[in-house]
Amino acid sequence: MNETPVIEARGVGFTYTGNWLQKITALHDVTVSVPTGSIFGYLGANGAGKSTLIKLMMGLLRGHSGQIRLFGEDIGNPKQRTHLGYLPEQPFFYENLQVHEYLSYLGHLSGLDSATLKRNAERVYELLDLGDLRKRKLGSFSKGMRQRFGLAQTIIHEPKLIVLDEPFSGLDPLWRARFRQIFTEENKRGATLFFSSHILSDIEDLCTHYAVIDHGRVLEQNRLDALFEQAPLQLIGTGPMPKEATRASDNSWTWVFNDDQRQASLDAVHACGGSILRLERQKLGLEEYFVQRVAEHHAAGPATKEGGSI
Amino acid sequence: MNLSLIRIIAGATFRESFRSKSFVMLLVLYLAGTCIAPIVGWISGTDGSIVTADLIFSLLSIVGVLVATATGTALVHTEIKQHTLYTVLSRPIHRWQFVCGKYLGLCAALIAGQLIMLATGLTMMALNGLSLHIGLLWAGLLITLEVCIMAAVSLTWTALSSPLLAAVFSLATYAVGHFVHGLPGLMYHLEGVQIMLVAGLASLIPDLGYYAYRNEAIYGMPAGSDELIALPYALCWITLLLFITTSVIRRKQL
Repeated sequence: MNETPVIEARGVGFTYTGNWLQKITALHDVTVSVPTGSIFGYLGANGAGKSTLIKLMMGLLRGHSGQIRLFGEDIGNPKQRTHLGYLPEQPFFYENLQVHEYLSYLGHLSGLDSATLKRNAERVYELLDLGDLRKRKLGSFSKGMRQRFGLAQTIIHEPKLIVLDEPFSGLDPLWRARFRQIFTEENKRGATLFFSSHILSDIEDLCTHYAVIDHGRVLEQNRLDALFEQAPLQLIGTGPMPKEATRASDNSWTWVFNDDQRQASLDAVHACGGSILRLERQKLGLEEYFVQRVAEHHAAGPATKEGGSI
Repeated sequence: MNLSLIRIIAGATFRESFRSKSFVMLLVLYLAGTCIAPIVGWISGTDGSIVTADLIFSLLSIVGVLVATATGTALVHTEIKQHTLYTVLSRPIHRWQFVCGKYLGLCAALIAGQLIMLATGLTMMALNGLSLHIGLLWAGLLITLEVCIMAAVSLTWTALSSPLLAAVFSLATYAVGHFVHGLPGLMYHLEGVQIMLVAGLASLIPDLGYYAYRNEAIYGMPAGSDELIALPYALCWITLLLFITTSVIRRKQL
């Protein structure tokens, strides 16, 4: 994997001007680096500031502090967006255009010629099961169908960077699984995926990297496998047990400890005469980690969470 | 400057506008009006053909302005409110290209609508035995130009305010725009600074009197010098209004 970041945000801050000139700070000193070829999950609760950073990257919001670079260049030049696909949260489309007209419209805006557009359109019709709907007006689409069309327009030009804001919103379980499959295929094609979600099971299945944002501050970012390596060790044994262990129902016992306590814990088991059945790394769910991390941030005090409800 | 992007946006906007319910409803309203016009002419106590022609051309202007205002205000508002522009502006285009494309697409739809209405109106007049002449066509084209100015006016007001206010301000601009043409004749009792002040304020509104040739055309009077500057005057105002709209949209947080 090439480690040159495809998205690089450094010290990004953004303040909205609300009604009656009320200032709402949505992002504080946000620094995020998205490696090329990665699938990057951007996690945060509602109002954490996920969409704000995405809109800044897309040039939809203006007036941020700090620096945002796409493909190694400062944002601002629309040409950078030639290789960018964007699926907004709860997308809406012109009601009176047909599916094929809309795809043609957006494909041409992304610089596709007619032959490539035709070929790519057939591909996305097949991927998203839109072939029979190509003559339908988008005004007649349900929420899930709009989401499918939204993904179609995102990947019609085979972008190098795909930005997805809550892509699983409004989808039934079958289409969520299909979307995950498409994201994996797009990543294999060479695209970098950056998506925000609060459905953490989806991110856990897909992502290679993650960042956690809360109240406009990035709390942490890392490789997902590094997160799993941080999980504590779990020793399952039988016979006499150390006093820190917990008795299980089947005469075995369990002892959970961190890596730095590993040798001392093994020595303690031998000293008390217990037998080791299994030593494994505890399975850490992204969801519980996220909840724990955000709770820690909240517990740290009001000074660290002055972000607005964006 | 990539004009092909503007053409692509204009094409999609044309299709979207031309198929919109408000557009079709107002066209139907006009067609109904032209069907009623000969009856109104027949029951009027005066020259029936003049009343019929006047009604058909008045409807052409009023419906055209209503379509321009309704479609123009809805167009930008829907884009911003429903975020339909997110998938467009995330492509490699500038916001000014987006505004110009939207305007040109809207104008294309309005011109198509006006030509359909004009052809229907002239056909209805011919069927009722009214004489047709080139002046009527010229009057119809001037109304179309006026509608294009009103489309730019409604886009600008929409960029600056809410859709409801934009519709009200646009229609007010239309009313005042026709009033300012006769203003010099009303300023005879003013003097010095008052004249400059009134003339200055009047110059902030497009003078739509240049496009009100329909009465003269119905009576068979030739076009005057006012009508000759109608096109360059319209282009100046449209350019200025698009510049203002673009400046506002460029700074808008979406």
